[in-house]
Amino acid sequence: MAPLALGGGAEADGEGVPVHGFVQSGTAYRLIQPDRCARTQRLACREPFVLGEGRARIELAPRGEWWGLTAKGEMIFDALVPEVDGELREGYLDLALGPLDLRIGRQVITWGVGDLVFINDVFPKDWVAFIAGLPLEYLKKGSDAVSVTGHWAGASLQLVLIPRFEADTLPEAGGRLAFHDPMASLEHRHTDDPTPSPGNTEVGARLSRNVLGWDLSLYAYRGFFHAPAGEAEPGPRLRFFFPPLSVYGASAQGALLGGVLSLEAGYYDSRHDRAGRDAAIENSSVRLLTGYQREVVPDLMLSGQYYVQVMEDHAEYVRSRGPGMPRRSAARHVLTARLTRLLLHQTLRLGLFALASPNDGDWYLGPEARYQITDALSATLGLNVFGGPRRSDYGQFEANSNLYTVLRYAF
Amino acid sequence: MALNRAVAAVILALLTVSWLAQPSAAQPSADQIMSRAHLAMYYPGEDMRARVTMRLVSRDGKERVRELTMTRRDLQDGGEQRYFIYFHRPPDVRDMTFLVWKYPGKDDDRWLYIPALKLVRRIAASDKRSSFAGSDFSYEDISGREPEEDTHKLIREDKAGARDAYVVESVPKDPGSVDFGRKLSWIDKGRGLPLKEEYFDRRGDLARVFTAEEITEIQGFWTVTRRVMKNVQTGHWTEAILADVRYNQKLAPDLFSERALRAPPTELVR
Repeated sequence: MAPLALGGGAEADGEGVPVHGFVQSGTAYRLIQPDRCARTQRLACREPFVLGEGRARIELAPRGEWWGLTAKGEMIFDALVPEVDGELREGYLDLALGPLDLRIGRQVITWGVGDLVFINDVFPKDWVAFIAGLPLEYLKKGSDAVSVTGHWAGASLQLVLIPRFEADTLPEAGGRLAFHDPMASLEHRHTDDPTPSPGNTEVGARLSRNVLGWDLSLYAYRGFFHAPAGEAEPGPRLRFFFPPLSVYGASAQGALLGGVLSLEAGYYDSRHDRAGRDAAIENSSVRLLTGYQREVVPDLMLSGQYYVQVMEDHAEYVRSRGPGMPRRSAARHVLTARLTRLLLHQTLRLGLFALASPNDGDWYLGPEARYQITDALSATLGLNVFGGPRRSDYGQFEANSNLYTVLRYAF
Repeated sequence: MALNRAVAAVILALLTVSWLAQPSAAQPSADQIMSRAHLAMYYPGEDMRARVTMRLVSRDGKERVRELTMTRRDLQDGGEQRYFIYFHRPPDVRDMTFLVWKYPGKDDDRWLYIPALKLVRRIAASDKRSSFAGSDFSYEDISGREPEEDTHKLIREDKAGARDAYVVESVPKDPGSVDFGRKLSWIDKGRGLPLKEEYFDRRGDLARVFTAEEITEIQGFWTVTRRVMKNVQTGHWTEAILADVRYNQKLAPDLFSERALRAPPTELVR
C-alpha cells in the first residue's frame, strides 16, 4: 500500500500517512425459510439470504503530538438488491489539551460492562447487522457528537453532546428480516426523529476512577429511547417516534477469585410516561447486571451473566394494553454464557455465546469459528439461531436464523 | 614484637586455610543468582521502552509476525510494575492497546482496549502461563516469574557460548500452578542475565528452550535484544527482536492508565 503524503501538517513527521483497511465478503443463509410472512415482510419469505455483500474499508489516521484525525470509510456492495452504498463509519478530530481530551465528529461511544447486554451503553446500535452475522464491530454505530474527557487525580469525567439523533437500526417493514409486527395491517408508516435543536441534544456524562484495582463508573444520560415507539394515526397510518429517556447508572469491574467480576445498574426514566399509562411508550424500569469471567485453563475463557429488567407501574401497563395485545411480564430475566477457546497459537478461535430468558422463554445461540489463515486473511463461519415465543425479544427473529460466513483480507 | 609477628603469621595462615578450604564463600547462592537474574532481565532501569518484533514460526516454516511497542515502568525494583503495549500489526490487532499492572504475589490487573468497539475490556489474569499473543512466550516469560515461586539449586558451572555461567535448577513450589516440572537456567556470571533456559514438563521431558541470541549493552544495561523460545515437542518457535530500546525515559505514570489505553501517545504509535 503506497503511503499517502500528508501536506502542511507542522507536526506530522513527514513519513506520510499509512493507509489501512480491508476488503470483506459476508453471506448469511437462512436455516428456516418462512412460508408465511406478514404483509410488511414479504421479502423475508422470498429471500433465502439474510446477507450477501462485499465491503471495502479505507482507514486513515494522521496524527501529531496533540492532535489526530481518524477517518474510516466504507463502500458496500449489496449483492441481493443489488446496489452500491458508501458510509462514513467514523470520522473525528482528536485534540489533547493538557488534561482534556476532545473528540469531535462521528464516533463510536461504548459505556458499561455488559457482554451483548446493555444498560448504560445507550448509544446507537445496528441490530440488523448483528442478526445478519456481520462482525461484532458493526453492532456499534457512530454518533455525530462532541466528547470532552477531563483527567484529574486519577479520575476521568467525560461529557458527550449529540446534537443529531441517530436511532438503532432494527428490522423494519420491507426489509429482509422477519420480526414481530403488531400493526402489520398498517403499511403506511413514517418515523419522526427528534428535530435537531438545543433542547433535543442528547447529553451524557460518565465519571470513572480506579479504586484499589476496581474500575468504578457513574453514568447519566438525557435523550431518547433508541428503539422507536409506534402509534396508529388517522389515515390510518403508523407513526414511529422516539420517547424521551433519561438513564442514571453505575458500574464496577475488578478481579475476584482469579477471574473478573462485573456489576452494572441503571434506572431508565421514561420521561413522557412516568405514570405508565401510555400504551405506546415503554415504562420506566430498573436494570441490573452481574457477570463473571474466568480463564479456566490457558486459552479457554468462560463467562456468564445474569440480567434483570424490572418494569415500574406494571399494573398501569397491563391496564393500558388492549385485548389481544402482547403483554410483557413485570420482570425480564436473562442469563448468558460465553465460551471462547483459542487454538493453533491463537489463530483459531472457537466461540459460543448463549442467551436465554427463563421467564419469557426466548433465546439466542451463536457458535462461531474464526481462523486466521494468514496474518492478513481470516475466515469466519458461524450460526445465529433465535427461538422462543413469536412475540418475544429474540423469538420474533426465529425465521432469520442463519449460517453466516465472513472472509476478510486486511492491510 | 616477635609475638605480634607470630600472631600475624597465624592469622594469615588461618585466612589462607579458610580461603583455600572454602572457595565457595565468594560464590553466591542459587537464590542470589536467580534474584539477580530476575532484576537484570526484567527490572533494568527505572523504565524502558522498545519496539518488539515477534516471528512465530511453525514446524513447516509458516510464519506470522506480531509487532508492538512495549513500555515498562517499575514502582519498586523487584516489585510492582506497569506495562503498556501498543500493537502495530497484524492488521486484526492494529491499534489495540494492552495495560498490565503487575503485583508480586497476587494476580495482575490487565486491560485490553478494542479500538473497533471503543471498548476497554478487563482481562482475567489468573494463568500467567498463557501464551502472549499466540507466541511461544508466556505472560510470565515476558514480565518475569518471581524467583520466590521456585526452589533453586546450583547444579554446576558451565559455559554458555563464550560466557561463563552458573547452571541453576528451579522446581516450582506449587507444581499445580505451572506447566513445567523443573527448569534449568544458564545464568551469565558477569552480567547476571539468563543465557539459556530449559523447561521440562511434569513427565521430565524437555518441552521448551529459551536462548538469548543477542545481548547488547544499552545505556549501561546488558539487554537481550534477540531471544528465541522453542517448543521442542511441537517444533513451533518464536523469535523476539527488541529494537529502539531506551531506558530511563522518565515515562509518566499517566502512560499506564485508561486514558492512554484509549488514546495512546503518538510517539508510541508511529
